[in-house]
Amino acid sequence: MKEEKVKIIITLTVAVFMVLFCLVPFIYMVVTSLSKNPDFLSLQSSFGWTFGNYKNIFTARTLHFFEYLRNSIIVSGVSAVVAVFIASLAAYSITRLSLPAKSFILLFTLSMSMFPQISLVGYLFSLMTKLGWINTYPALIFPYIAWILPLSLWILVSYFMQLPKELDKAAIVDGCSTWQILYRVILPVAKPGLFSAALLAFIFAFNEFMFALMFTTDYTARTIPVGIALFQGLHGEIPWGNIMAAATITTIPIVILVLIFQKNIIQGLTRGAVKG
Amino acid sequence: MINNKLKKTYTINELKGAFLFLLPLILFLLLFILIPIVGTFITSGFRDVSFLEKKFIFFDNYKTLFSDSVFWHDFGFTVVFVIVSVSLEMLLGISFALLLNQYLPFRGLLRAVVLIPWAIPVAISARIWELIYNYHYGLANYLIMQLGISKEPINWLGTNIGAFFALVLSDAWKTTPFVTIILLTGLQAIPKEIHNQAKVDRAHFFQRFYKITLPLLKPVIVVALLFRTIDGLRIFDLIYVLTHGGPGGSTSSISLYGYKYFLSGDFGYGSAISISLFIVAFALSLLYIKIGRFGKEIL
Repeated sequence: MKEEKVKIIITLTVAVFMVLFCLVPFIYMVVTSLSKNPDFLSLQSSFGWTFGNYKNIFTARTLHFFEYLRNSIIVSGVSAVVAVFIASLAAYSITRLSLPAKSFILLFTLSMSMFPQISLVGYLFSLMTKLGWINTYPALIFPYIAWILPLSLWILVSYFMQLPKELDKAAIVDGCSTWQILYRVILPVAKPGLFSAALLAFIFAFNEFMFALMFTTDYTARTIPVGIALFQGLHGEIPWGNIMAAATITTIPIVILVLIFQKNIIQGLTRGAVKG
Repeated sequence: MINNKLKKTYTINELKGAFLFLLPLILFLLLFILIPIVGTFITSGFRDVSFLEKKFIFFDNYKTLFSDSVFWHDFGFTVVFVIVSVSLEMLLGISFALLLNQYLPFRGLLRAVVLIPWAIPVAISARIWELIYNYHYGLANYLIMQLGISKEPINWLGTNIGAFFALVLSDAWKTTPFVTIILLTGLQAIPKEIHNQAKVDRAHFFQRFYKITLPLLKPVIVVALLFRTIDGLRIFDLIYVLTHGGPGGSTSSISLYGYKYFLSGDFGYGSAISISLFIVAFALSLLYIKIGRFGKEIL
């Protein structure tokens, strides 16, 4: 009985601490974005409700918020779709077809997701310069696809493993070719797995910073994380209100995705267990 | 004999087909990860600086690196940062995972709440933290003063120790969710009967944690620990946005140091710095793969 009480108290304390720890910075961002004065916590200041920060990031052309967001969505979206498609071909080959050294291929791919990005950017920067791709979408999309492939492959391999082999056998009896088995039988059944992989791949690409910092020079291709990181006022001051409004608009959709699809994300993260 | 021959050609065709499906993956990894690594390694053997003639200098960049006190400072900073922040993340991660493993009201919602910091891009959360750590009106000093923890505001980003712990806390915020989720999966794999038996044996729940949960969870903890270590060693975004390596270079990581050389056009030395980090990370990831025994249920 006493143990039960102690347990309830500890559980409650940890729960409250956890919720505060995870949410306070997020709430602080939203609240600051709605305030006239980012210094509202100091004694000399007051709060002052306003939507001016939101209005400003969409109307002030010099901030280029809309362009950064558009670039991020296009680059991450294209990268995620292509990576998941390529990974589904590979996962099909690994789980269904006769291939030697399957475990080597999987572990080799896993090891690549561990490489520090800094050991790639020097070479990739020279390559993108030679190709004339600096400050274009392809300069980001191609490296992003490679970067999110290991994660997508691991998620899809573990998903495809669970699909019964009888599916293939029935399709072979019906006279399907390998390609047809993949796109007529496996892919439709594997939709939830494909969706999880694409969602995680999108979030990883959306989060990427170093490539975007090195391979873009302005708003024509720069993504939102780099854009917000480099946000500056006209006179060198930090426009906190605008930054927090931009951060809010960028993160709220991601947070909603996480709330809706938390099961897919958790499954993907633990099945892949490759990236943080 | 004919049978045998037929079977062999069939297998080769099969192999060809299987390889064809694998080809796009191999091409992308080769062109944008493997070749760049090899290329960086080759460049590290050159004097490759903008406006100077490119010259092969064998391991001279590495010799310079060994006697470069800034490099060793950044190397040391990165290692200490990883040890402190990963320890904190593991501690928080285990507490959160134990909590989420219980029958709670709103458990699904709580799990989603934990994922929020993970989903926000580091560069964006780093800006939020930058405001939180503001000396004059940031939330951190406001809370510290209100709760009476300190009478004076803390100069978070302006002092070496303040900047260090500012980075540790922000990093823990971002990465604890991942650790929590991995450990939670490990906890859920522990059969409930073991706990029930221990309850029958009147074991206190702290005893149950130390004697049963922790040993059974150890393999998962090691995997999460190694993964976070490798990931932490390459830290860049958070430092780039929050402290720029400052004050006075005290919080510069290996990745940031390498980046500075790439930015200034010294690709030879920048590559040598990057390769040194790559070697450490690669060695650890081989260990990670061996210990994690990945794919043992797949293959």
